[in-house]
Order: sequence, then C-alpha cells, then structure tokens
Amino acid sequence: MAPIIKVDNLRKVYRVGQEKVVALRDINLEIERGEFCCVVGASGSGKSTLLNQLAGLEKPTRGSVSIGGHNISAMSEKELAVFRQHHLGFVFQSYNLLPTMTAVENVALPLMFKGVPKAKREAMAAQQLKKMGLGKRLKHKPTEMSGGQQQRVGIARAFVSKPEVIFADEPTGNLDSHTTAKVMNAILRLTRENNITFIMVTHERDLSSCADRIITLKDGCVLRNEKIENPAQEFEVQLSPMDEEYIAQEKQERENSDRNNAAGDGQTAASPDLKENHV
Amino acid sequence: MKISDLLALSYENLRRRKGRTALTVAGVVIGTFLIVIMVSLGIAVNVGFDEMLQSMGDLRKITVYGWGVNGSEVQLNDDAVAQMSKLDHVLVATPYYQPRYLSFNLVAGKNDRYQTGYVELYGIYPEALEMMQYELKSGSYLPEKGTVPSGNKPKVQVVVGEQLGYNFTDTKKKGENAYRWQGMTDAAGNELPPFVDILSDTMTLKSQGSEDDKQLVYQMDVLGVLLQDNEKGYETYGGVFMDLNVLKKLESDYMRMNNIKAETTNTYDQVVVMVDDIDNVEAVEEYINDELGFQTGGMSSWREQMQGQSQMLQLILGGLGAVSLFVAALSIVNTMSMSILERTREIGVMKVLGCGIGKIRTLFLLEASMIGLTGGLLGIGISYLVSFALNHFAPFLMMSGLGNILPMYGSKISVIPVWLSVGSVFFATLIGFVAGILPAGRAVKISALEAIRHE
Ligand SMILES: Nc1ncnc2c1ncn2[C@@H]1O[C@H](COP(=O)(O)OP(=O)(O)OP(=O)(O)O)[C@@H](O)[C@H]1O
Ligand SMILES: [Mg+2]
Repeated sequence: MAPIIKVDNLRKVYRVGQEKVVALRDINLEIERGEFCCVVGASGSGKSTLLNQLAGLEKPTRGSVSIGGHNISAMSEKELAVFRQHHLGFVFQSYNLLPTMTAVENVALPLMFKGVPKAKREAMAAQQLKKMGLGKRLKHKPTEMSGGQQQRVGIARAFVSKPEVIFADEPTGNLDSHTTAKVMNAILRLTRENNITFIMVTHERDLSSCADRIITLKDGCVLRNEKIENPAQEFEVQLSPMDEEYIAQEKQERENSDRNNAAGDGQTAASPDLKENHV
Repeated sequence: MKISDLLALSYENLRRRKGRTALTVAGVVIGTFLIVIMVSLGIAVNVGFDEMLQSMGDLRKITVYGWGVNGSEVQLNDDAVAQMSKLDHVLVATPYYQPRYLSFNLVAGKNDRYQTGYVELYGIYPEALEMMQYELKSGSYLPEKGTVPSGNKPKVQVVVGEQLGYNFTDTKKKGENAYRWQGMTDAAGNELPPFVDILSDTMTLKSQGSEDDKQLVYQMDVLGVLLQDNEKGYETYGGVFMDLNVLKKLESDYMRMNNIKAETTNTYDQVVVMVDDIDNVEAVEEYINDELGFQTGGMSSWREQMQGQSQMLQLILGGLGAVSLFVAALSIVNTMSMSILERTREIGVMKVLGCGIGKIRTLFLLEASMIGLTGGLLGIGISYLVSFALNHFAPFLMMSGLGNILPMYGSKISVIPVWLSVGSVFFATLIGFVAGILPAGRAVKISALEAIRHE
C-alpha cells in the first residue's frame, strides 16, 4: 500500500538576520494511512517545524512533501486552501477557537468553508460535539468553557469533516494528566473508527504508548523512526494523589446525577462513550 | 463558502466591537450628511431658478428680434421664419406681428358703455397657435385660411385670452367701481364677474387715432378662448390672436383710408421660435445668433447665467462634504487595520481550517463596505430630516437673517432628489469598499502559521 504521506529530502532553513538556523536538515519519511504517529524530541529539535511542513503551512527550503499523491509543496495558496478543506484537519495546542462563536459554530467552521448549508453543518457539528461528551455545551462560547472542554471542541472541529490526515501540535500541552488521558482516548477512538491518519507532536513520552509509529527528532534530523507492532489500545496515565482525589469526587457526582436522571426524564445529551464531567 | 455566511461573519465582527464601529460609522454619517445637504441646497437654488423663470414664460420659447447681433442689417421676413422652422428640434416658428400704424381698443355694451385700453393684438400663422402649445379653454384654434372681414357688419375671427373680460372698465362709474379684476369679491365674499362676458356679449374692435381719422370697426368673432396659463405668458390672459395675413390686410386698409404713406416692408419686429425641449434651446438659440445673425432673447440664456452661479455654490459646498467623507474613509482604513491586527490569530486559524484567501479578502471588504453602507443610510436619513426641517422653517429662517447665507430663489431651501439619495448611499458604500482594499490586502498576507504560534 502506498504511504499517505511521503517526505523527500526535506530541508528547512530559517534566516535570522545574517545567521542561518537549520531547523530541518534532511528528512525522509513515509507514513501509512490510518497510522497514529507521534513526533517526539527535545525542545528545538524541529518537531513543530516538521509538522508545519507536513501540513503545508510553510514552504520548504528544499525537498517536497506529498499527501495522498499530491505534492503540496508545489501548490499555490489557493490550491492549498481547497486541499486543506477536503483532506486535512488541525488541532492546536492553544485551542484557537473563534471567541465570538459558540461551540457548535466553531466546530461547523471547516464545513462552512466547504460551503455546507448552515442547518446541515450545525447538525453535523452538534453530533460531533455529543460524541466528545459536550452535548450540554453546544451553545457555549469559548470563554464559558474550561481548557479541556475547549480542547475537545477543537478536536471535534478537526474531525467533523472527516479529513484523511489530522495534525496536532502538543494538543494536550495545556491540560492536566487526567484530562490528557481522556482527550487522548477520545482522539484515539475517533481515528481508529474513521481510519484517519493522526500525526501528533508531543513532549511527553507517555503519550506515545498507543502510537503505531514514533518519530524521534534530534537537531533537525530523524534520530529514530520506529514502527510499533502492538500498541496499547488505551492511554493510561500515572495518576498523582491529587488526580485520584479528583476522580473520586467525579465518580460521586456522576452517581448523583445518574440517580437524578433515573428519577427525572432520563434524558442526557452526553454520549455513552464519554460522560460529561469536569474536564 | 456561501455569501450569506460571509455576510453573517462580517456583521458579527462589526457587532462585537460596537463602540468602535459606531464611531467609524459616525464619520461616514457626517460626511454623507454634509455632502447631501450641501448638494441639496445647490439643487434647491436651481429648482428655484426654474420655478422663477417658469412663472415668467415658457422656457422653450426663443424670441427672435428684427435686428442683427452686432447691430448689423438683417431681414426678419417670412423666408427667415421658414428657415428657422426647418431647424432641428424647432416645433414651430411664427411672427408675433403687432401692427405699427394701427391699434385697436375694444368696446361692448349699450352705447359702448364698457371699454378697454389698447388691445394686445398679435398676428400669427394661424396653424402656429396650437403648436405653440396654448391650450384651449373652449372653442377652436384659428382656421388655416383666415377670412378677411367684409360686408356692412364685418366680423373678424379671433382667439382670445381667458380673462380678456377683465380689461373692460365701466365708463358710467367712477373710481374703483369702474374696474373689475380677477379674484375681486363683493361684501358677501362672492366673486364678481367681469363686466363683459367674452363668450356671449358682442365685443367690437375700434381703431384708435385722432378725431378726424377714418375708423375701422369690426365685430369680434371669438372662435376660441385660451386657457389662462401664467407660465405661457400674458397673451393667455388678455391677448387677442388674429391670422397674420388678415391683420396685415387690416393695417394696409387703414393706411390707405387715412393716407398714411410709409415704406411697407415684409419684415417683422418679433418672431417666436418654439423648441421641443428645454435642453435643446441653447443649441437652437446659438444657431440663430451665429448662423442666421439675429439677436435673440431666450429665457435660457438667462437661466444659464444663473445656473453658473449656483453651480459654483454647489461645487464649494459639495467639496466640503467630500473632504469630510475623505476623512471618514481614513478612519475606516484605521478601524479596519486595527481590527485586523487584533484578529491576526483568528485569520490564521481560518486559513489553516481551509478558508481561501479570496474569502478572507471578501470578508474584510464586506465589513468595510457595511460600515460605508450603514453610514450612508443613516446619513441620508438625517439629511431628509434636516432638509424637511429647513424647508418647514424656511420663512422663519429667511427672516432671521440666514437668508444672507442660504440663497432661496424658489419655495424650498433644500431639495433631495431620488438620484441624490441613491447616489450618496452608493458612494458611501463605495468609499467603505475602497477604504477596505488596503487592510483586506494585509489580512490576506497574514501567515497561517500565526495561528499556531502561541504567545
Ligand atoms: N520562524 C522561525 N524563524 C527562525 N527560526 C525558527 C523559526 N521557527 C523555528 N525556528 C528555529 O528552528 C528550530 C526548531 O524549532 P521548532 O519550533 O521546530 O522546535 P520544537 O521541536 O517544536 O521545539 P519545542 O518542543 O520547544 O516546541 C529552533 O532552533 C527554532 O529556533
Ligand atoms: Mg514546538
């Protein structure tokens, strides 16, 4: 099977004043369809630069990146915009939701750029948010949500148009370890369900436990490119005492609300896979 | 991406910065208002001129005189008139012949009790009467071939002005009682009719001269009565029209009877040319002056002169408004630039999520145009209010000395025609659009990477 992403002799040099900073030296990579791929490495090793190159956000100094057989390094801005609409999704470290829009509107944004009518795209967005356990937060503005909730909105936004490849630069960088595990599990399930190729930059080695492939960068070069044969099916994060206390409290609350629901109308917007809680 | 989505996005972006948007819009409002109000003052001057001139006569008429432009010798005869009537845009040209050696007054009633002074008598081409666009109140125009009066009680065919009756005075009465005028009422407020009813009473033309002159006496056969129309001239009030050839015949008869020896020429003192449209009057008049060499006295030459004055005024006033709109445009540029700076990250995110650069440009152009459009609409709204107030309080304003600054030639100080309101809104929107071009270009250039870099 042909790889979905192919990187050939990729080099990226930044010019800062008179000085040249070689961010990526000479990268050659192949990533297969449906892989969950982690890019790890020390700070300044070129992880973000590589991700931006893969996503076509910057032009390479030399070499090329092709996705699904399309050489994105040769595309114009206009072509890239259309290509992103149809094939790529993004999850940002700092969420980057549009502040004036509600959760649903934010998630529907990529569909809007594609020209999907309002009613249809908002229905799709609401469905995606429910899958992420945010059924009760549809009409909330970003400022009215916690970081974890915002990040789940960001993830829903990346997945809503079912792109072939999703890029994420430290998507859990701002989250506590407990929330990180839940967000990562949500991502993992969605990528496996939809056979989406997911490429994530991360600092935390723990997070690569479920990866099909781990790419380790050092000084702009690929230090290791490991294919993992039997990755874990779920993230598990060592919990700190604080986290445990937190989870106990959460469990208590969930039981309370279950009791309430059984007594009341029994309606709950949250999906069965991921319960709404204090993320 | 649909245009409705773009509009909604633009609107939302303007709405969330209400204060700043309002201030920017206010600039456009003021600029639009100034331009519209000032242009409307100029237009009112023009409309006023027209109202004023119209009350003085039909603007489509050119009076051609029997002398040359520079005092040169010219022959204003039937040939010249024929030449004029063949010009483009000329409906008709006819002499308004007033005999030099013959004048009449009118008498009516028993023993000529009721008499008029000198009668405004015109000899014209009979077919011209209708083409001069005089309207008939009753009866008909002159027949194409006039009949020369004959027999022992000779009758002369005429068409007269509607209020000719008011020209009669009662010789048996003294002072004010000897007169009747239009709108005169008795003590009870009833309108008093003229002494003579021009339709039913017999009116007789009598030539005026010294005691021993032989007198011509003709009974008037009133074929038609012209509808009074002050815009057309006095003739519709108290004039008497007669076939040109008949009148000439009467004059020569009179001269023969009284042994008046004079060089009879076939020239006229005054010919009137009727043009199809006001806008063509200037060209026709110019041709008659320059090519045919006759001196003319069209209303349009006067109108042009006054228009020149008001155009100057309009230019100055409109210029002031233009400057304020220019300032408003700068403030739009400023507002948009600030807004784009604030939204750098958002723009980057949108790009990464697949928003084409064309759409981003459209988004910001729409925002800027909306500012212009809103300002334009509010501006024209305020202009209508102020214009209404100015006209409503016009008499008071004139008295309070404002009349020295605001010229008021007609009944209104400010006139806003539809083209001005539509045009100004369009112009304000266009200004917004143009002001948006530069900032939108900058928004387009923002790198998608901006979105990913966090503080
Ligand atoms: N726009 C830029 N201009 C100049 N140099 C840059 C630019 N972006 C990155 N670099 C340089 O390229 C190198 C790689 O940077 P990059 O952001 O890819 O590192 P990273 O692996 O993502 O680090 P971190 O884990 O801290 O995010 C660094 O030395 C950085 O200084
Ligand atoms: Mg980085």
